[in-house]
Amino acid sequence: MVSEHIIKSYDQELQRLDNIIAEMGGMAESQLAAAIEAVAKRDSELAARVVKSDARVDELEREVESLVVRLLALRQPLARDLRQIVAGLKIASDLERIADYAANVAKRAIALNQTPAVKPVSGIPRMGRLGSGMIKDVLDAFVERDAEKALAVWLRDEEMDDLYTSLFRELLTYMIEDPRNITACTHLLFMAKNLERIGDHATNIAETLYFLVHGTPLAQVRPKRDRTSLALTPNADVEDIEEDQD
Amino acid sequence: MTYEIQPIESPSRPRPHLIQMPPVDTPHPTPTAEAKDQAQPKVQIKDLRFYYKTYEALKGINLTLHDKRVTAFIGPSGCGKSTLLRVLNRIYELYPDQRATGQVLVDGQDILDPRQDLNLLRARIGMVFQKPTPFPMSIYDNVAFGIRLYERPSARDLDERVEEALKRAALWDEVKDKLRESGLSLSGGQQQRLCIARGIAVKPEVLLLDEPASALDPISTQRIEELIADLKSDYCIVIVTHNMQQAARSSDYTAFMYLGQLVEFDTTETIFTHPKERQTEDYITGRFG
Repeated sequence: MVSEHIIKSYDQELQRLDNIIAEMGGMAESQLAAAIEAVAKRDSELAARVVKSDARVDELEREVESLVVRLLALRQPLARDLRQIVAGLKIASDLERIADYAANVAKRAIALNQTPAVKPVSGIPRMGRLGSGMIKDVLDAFVERDAEKALAVWLRDEEMDDLYTSLFRELLTYMIEDPRNITACTHLLFMAKNLERIGDHATNIAETLYFLVHGTPLAQVRPKRDRTSLALTPNADVEDIEEDQD
Repeated sequence: MTYEIQPIESPSRPRPHLIQMPPVDTPHPTPTAEAKDQAQPKVQIKDLRFYYKTYEALKGINLTLHDKRVTAFIGPSGCGKSTLLRVLNRIYELYPDQRATGQVLVDGQDILDPRQDLNLLRARIGMVFQKPTPFPMSIYDNVAFGIRLYERPSARDLDERVEEALKRAALWDEVKDKLRESGLSLSGGQQQRLCIARGIAVKPEVLLLDEPASALDPISTQRIEELIADLKSDYCIVIVTHNMQQAARSSDYTAFMYLGQLVEFDTTETIFTHPKERQTEDYITGRFG
């Protein structure tokens, strides 16, 4: 592990930055889990609690921002310290977005609970579990400064994209089968998109962590499997269509 | 359809579906950006060793200083950075029992050669010290002193040269109306710029600055740094500093020295964002114990 600074209070401030991020990460993870549970169990009360709790994550992000500005102004950080502080700011912003998406899922759960249940609801918990797992692992990687573990999370987003593409097609089929499904399926579709975006933010954190550990950006091209933007009908074959990787 | 998570392999084994990363560790101390830099090498230091009697203060330094670039030497007290600077214009020869071995090639010519004319060398390689050292004479004579030492210019030429040097050192506007007053009447920051004017009046090729701003207030410090940035277009500049931020702000290359050895040399950006050596990182982040 990295040795200590000659000035002890500097170490304490950097530790505090890590602690706030860990707390934010824990909250984002549990917010997501609760939102998914609210969908699966059609629990509107739980969903409402998730929506309400989002404010605390926003508050933590503001705390990170002010701590980072303070550290930059007063400590003139260099090298690893500088990377830790810049990474802290970026990760906090990703976690805030993740929690936002979880709150969005919860909001839609409340709307969804007012319509009859549709079958593909089961795809949402699968994506949710994967998302929670990615957040948990990337945060463990952050605490342990483990770039390899972060890389593993980064690669798992491929599975998230596959789940999303598959759910997208499934929902399209249900809507075509019976137009009465459209309201519920549209909510589910947006939920799926939110969860897919959570995966993207988890990979952002993995990339930031890689930079924090190695001092160089992760220069690899991530396999991108979300091809729903090219789909016209549920069975459209988009495998051969070239798509820019982002 | 089934979904399989790609197995994660150990970093040593290639991942076939990924583009291979360039290796993070480039051979030390070959700066990655140095190759892209168009700067010409000016001073090449080869296996330089320096002894105070029997104590080896520099233990085989290999380093290239580029023309029209600023190189900063950083490191804790006693690491040898000032010693290295003192070798570059052989000022150490003023003291007995000090000697250097190895080579210091300036434009390919070894200045450690005993046949090297020391006065000529010191005209080519100017030096400014930590404490301003104006001579107890007028501002004008302080600057003219060096020129008179090496050349016999006409009075008019001399006036021009003095004015030019004072302008280049960003001091002219402040002293043009009192050139006959004593150099000692100036403020610390002005005195230091006067010393820089005296150094550049003889048109050197290399400028050595040993802690040039450590005794100055922040405004004077910034004037000196601005001056360094300006002088860079004409000279090969070396600055020794204990101020990390100053090294980061004003240099293109940074050399970190410790216990008489060059630990790491790279572009300043690399040294201060992701140094390769643990010792460098510990030093610049304030973890040195």
